[in-house]
Amino acid sequence: MSHTVRETAIVRWTLIILALLFMILFLVLPLALVFVQALEKGVTAYWKALADPDAVSAIKLTVIAAAIAVPANLVFGIAASWAIAKFHFRGKNVLLTLIDVPFSVSPVISGLIYVLLFGLQGWLGPWLYEHDIQIVFAVPGIVLATIFVTFPFVARELIPLMEQQGTEEEEAAILLGASGIKTFLRVTIPNIKWGLLYGVILCNARAMGEFGAVSVVSGHVRGQTNTVPLHVEILYNEYNFVAAFAVASILAFLALVTLMLKSFVEWNTLRVQKKPDQINTEGLTA
Amino acid sequence: MSITVRNITKSFGNFIALHDVSLDIPSDGLMALLGPSGSGKTTLLRIIAGLDVPACGTIEINGEDISARSARDRNVGFVFQHYALFKHMTVFENVAFGLRVRPRHTRPAKSEISDRVMALLKLVQLEHMAHRYPTQLSGGQRQRVALSRALAVEPKVLLLDEPFGALDAKVRKELRRWLRRLHDELHVTSVFVTHDQEEALEVADEIVVMSQGRIEQVGTPEDVYHHPATPFVYQFLGDVNLFHVRIEDGNVVVAGSAEAAENDQSNDEKASYGYVRPHGLDIARESFGPGDISAKIVHINAAGPVVKLELAGDGGGLFHVSITQEQFRDLKLVRNDSVYVKPRDVRVFEPEYMI
Repeated sequence: MSHTVRETAIVRWTLIILALLFMILFLVLPLALVFVQALEKGVTAYWKALADPDAVSAIKLTVIAAAIAVPANLVFGIAASWAIAKFHFRGKNVLLTLIDVPFSVSPVISGLIYVLLFGLQGWLGPWLYEHDIQIVFAVPGIVLATIFVTFPFVARELIPLMEQQGTEEEEAAILLGASGIKTFLRVTIPNIKWGLLYGVILCNARAMGEFGAVSVVSGHVRGQTNTVPLHVEILYNEYNFVAAFAVASILAFLALVTLMLKSFVEWNTLRVQKKPDQINTEGLTA
Repeated sequence: MSITVRNITKSFGNFIALHDVSLDIPSDGLMALLGPSGSGKTTLLRIIAGLDVPACGTIEINGEDISARSARDRNVGFVFQHYALFKHMTVFENVAFGLRVRPRHTRPAKSEISDRVMALLKLVQLEHMAHRYPTQLSGGQRQRVALSRALAVEPKVLLLDEPFGALDAKVRKELRRWLRRLHDELHVTSVFVTHDQEEALEVADEIVVMSQGRIEQVGTPEDVYHHPATPFVYQFLGDVNLFHVRIEDGNVVVAGSAEAAENDQSNDEKASYGYVRPHGLDIARESFGPGDISAKIVHINAAGPVVKLELAGDGGGLFHVSITQEQFRDLKLVRNDSVYVKPRDVRVFEPEYMI
């Protein structure tokens, strides 16, 4: 007996150490390196790199893109999952598959689609040019590409949650005389708020960190159509390592904050789900 | 307020849930929709509530056609099997919901809402639970909250979908007697769905027995139990034995061998079947003379108010007999004993009544 126990202990520790080494080598070290490199020439150089007008403009653009993409996909995600989870209709599976398209298509391809559609040589290009509307190689293109790649996050998070919750509470609310909008605000939203927050956090992280699709449609005009990830690449290609890593540290910091928020939401969801088991026995006898 | 269901048909894909159903639900009564799963009873309830839309037919409440109204405007109280309480609201907020969501001009004042909610919680004996969340309550308490929430909007009719289905046996019995008393106090027209014949027989003023999307019989509990209109009703409302019978000069003669009852629905020779409840059989050690059946005891269950015997007829087939504890002691029955059985009340359904 003790023999087998000792052996599993060895196997167990070997696996744990292997996993730890792997994590340190591929996850912790690179992340630490970002901050080390960024601060290599001191805090002053770090702040200077961040205060550079081009960097500030990149940060602004990233925030703008996320500020449009996240609410847009929030609204779409709630609408789509509401429709899919609570109603039966023809083409439901097609819609489900369509929502997943941005996950299955390479971001570079998604960017290219926008160029082919809205670019000067594209389908709508000439018409847009005539009306003096620029989409590709401008902010609208970046926003569109960001919306596209972050499309599934909120919906994917909410659909299973809403399906599991069913429609009885909504039916009860309607039967009690609540209007559709009151039912939605007072019954549906409170039931999905944690899943919703989780989806929004992931959506935001991806919106700010997206490189491929945005890179294709951006045109890389410094101070105008550069987002943070694109700016990092430019700085790096110019051998401006301190500045590149300083700007990259913003993204790394964002990732850490996202992880923390995500863990908090997960922990809280678990806590909320566990509640039904803890029936208060004192209350039952009272 | 009375409810009138007229020619309701509803199908889900190829499955016909309700087949041209018409029904009058009298005012102030407590009516049970009884049937096995898939009989259409819940669908009928949901159509009355406006949660499902029928393919054709109309629903009237108090003579007024409400078919075109949405569930929101029908003013019916509905109680779900799994309570459907709002998880994120306290018991108080759950009951107050229907009053709080009213448009401003019909919404009662805050103090009035509070008074009404507390009065309802008192009615269901949960006034000390007002600040709790549904997850902190037992199943029976949750269902009482659901009921008071439905009553808060002063509904014209109260519809209950398997209200005790999710509760354990003991709580279920308590709660259904309580529902009966509550109904006698409130006099609101109520319809509840159940698959439990005992529950329907005990609680309801009137029972609607349903099967495969059709109504088999409507009547008082005594009616449907003692004078079942169809073989289905007879079988659904209690245990039953099936015997081959002959009709001779207007008299029913049991032709010996018995068959186990439950499954045999498809046989088109039903005319030659007699239906006998387990307590409708006499049992003795000596032959009753012509028309009796000799059998062997294969199982005895003496735990309970009556003793249940399972017999194997010598001509084949199993059947069940229940006798009193006194009879059981007097006869000193043990397993594998040979006995004689004679049916007392045999019910034969003429073929023309059973299409």
